[in-house]
Amino acid sequence: MDKTTTQPAFDRAEFDRMADEWRYIMTDMICRAGSGHLGGAFSLVEIVMTLYYRIMRTDPANPRWDERDRLVLSKGHAAPVLYLALAYQGFFPMAWLKTLNADGTRLPSHADARYVPGIDMTTGSLGQGLSCACGAAHAARLDGKKHNVFCIIGDGESNEGQNWEAAMFAGHHKLDNLVAITDYNKLQIDDFTDKLLTLEPLCDKWRAFGWEVFEMDGHDWDVIYKTINAAIAVRGKPAMIIAHTIKAKGCCLVENKPESHNIKVPDQATYDKFLNSLTAKATLPY
Amino acid sequence: MGKDFHSMEMRFVYGETLNELIEQNPNVMCLEADLSKASGTNPTVSSRHPANFLNIGVAEANMIGIGAGLASEGKVPFCASFTCFATRRVYDQVTISVAYANMNVKIVGTAPGITAGPNGGTHMCFQDLAIMRAMPNMHVYSPCDALELRSVMRHMAASRQPTYMQLIRSKVPKVFDAEYAFNPETAVVLREGRNVTLVSTGYMTQFAVAVVDELARAGVSVELLHYPSVKPFDAATLVTSAQKTRGVVTVENQNIIGGLGGAVCEVLSEQCPTRVIRLGVPNQFGEVASEQYLFDKHGFGPKQIADACRRIAAERKTK
Repeated sequence: MDKTTTQPAFDRAEFDRMADEWRYIMTDMICRAGSGHLGGAFSLVEIVMTLYYRIMRTDPANPRWDERDRLVLSKGHAAPVLYLALAYQGFFPMAWLKTLNADGTRLPSHADARYVPGIDMTTGSLGQGLSCACGAAHAARLDGKKHNVFCIIGDGESNEGQNWEAAMFAGHHKLDNLVAITDYNKLQIDDFTDKLLTLEPLCDKWRAFGWEVFEMDGHDWDVIYKTINAAIAVRGKPAMIIAHTIKAKGCCLVENKPESHNIKVPDQATYDKFLNSLTAKATLPY
Repeated sequence: MGKDFHSMEMRFVYGETLNELIEQNPNVMCLEADLSKASGTNPTVSSRHPANFLNIGVAEANMIGIGAGLASEGKVPFCASFTCFATRRVYDQVTISVAYANMNVKIVGTAPGITAGPNGGTHMCFQDLAIMRAMPNMHVYSPCDALELRSVMRHMAASRQPTYMQLIRSKVPKVFDAEYAFNPETAVVLREGRNVTLVSTGYMTQFAVAVVDELARAGVSVELLHYPSVKPFDAATLVTSAQKTRGVVTVENQNIIGGLGGAVCEVLSEQCPTRVIRLGVPNQFGEVASEQYLFDKHGFGPKQIADACRRIAAERKTK
């Protein structure tokens, strides 16, 4: 794939190691901050890493490069995983990572394009990002540009009606430069999604709105890579990938539990407990 | 000889001016949410610049988000709907995707206040100036006639700021000549006077002009300040006038809470404590009714403006 940044060839062991490292660092960042959205960031590690390392064309030295692929993280509370990707890619110094949510930080809890190089859209109020991605995709088409617009939405976020307004728009306008991914970790803040507000049949819903729909295991490197590329290749309609993921994957303390959404770390003991509950240890880069 | 925009309905002035702006800058776009005929852009813009015209459907939240996405790519979207749907319905979308994200989106609320007329109470938005003014990064304009509308729109297309503008749909009397140039930083002293200051914006300015001219003939000297920009708000012009007259009347096609009258009181209470009478809708919803009925019911028509000015002038005399 034509990329401006030099990426290492895919090395499963190295990607596995890096995924563990990201989860360790994110846990440290969130624990330092005293609280944070761990679960929904953890469920996206493999997807976001694949996007930035194997799919998206970006230029860390020129974050606003006109030909770059865009990513709207509509579930803006998963910002920590995006910050990891951007820091590792060199969009900003690693030292910023330890400032998550600190006074005067450039890395706020929700993804913020105003402060963070490499973030394409400010998000945080759920349900709005897919509309913004539609606008960005429509603009690219008007201007004859070839880049793709990616958008990641949450499963709980899919409760918001605005997503379905955007779904109708993208389907009607056949926005085939738009690839959306639903982080289907089956949990929202208060409960499991199927207990709180049924999403199923989720694939059928998106198909009914005129989208090409894919399903994938959101933690399997090969499947993620192949599925996103298949979604990019779709012509004549937008593509939705329903990614089956595990919320807080790799943090046994809260993995697949509602309380993983926003963990509270009031003291050093809790901090240690979270770090010790991870699959693997890593060295902090700051 | 140019076109006589004063003879046109304001919505068609909006459509024609958008066409001019698109011809000057192809990034300017016209977004609608199934009210394009009401906004005056269909067929005016839709037929002349179909690629710049985007009808989102009855989905105002999506329109604002798409506007933000277009703006992130350098487009300059003008997103129009009835005032109630362009502001209060999508307040969080405008707050986060536009103002907080600092996206160059222009939001146009048509048929403001009682001009929603036959659509009645559900469609009468009396709080848009207040709620949009309370939003950081947002600029709030309310032009009073066709040429001012055109000047405001040219400013909006050239600025890179999130902006909200009220658009009166009907034809309104001429207030400004062709040489008028909108400046968001300054109020317009439409009439100089000594006894009382009258502050108006948007739809009410045409009535204020007539009232002030009539009062002048009756010996009451009213200084009329027109605020095409409610935010930023030109404090200096107001304070200078209030220091002279020591009494102020405000009139707006809005709830008296938080809009123009609110802005005036905020400035005066801090910089020049002054007696103020606020005219507008006193904390009530609208209803299907004629303009005259609503003016009389809520007390902000020409008669009530004149009465308030006389009352303040009389109070000043007795002191």
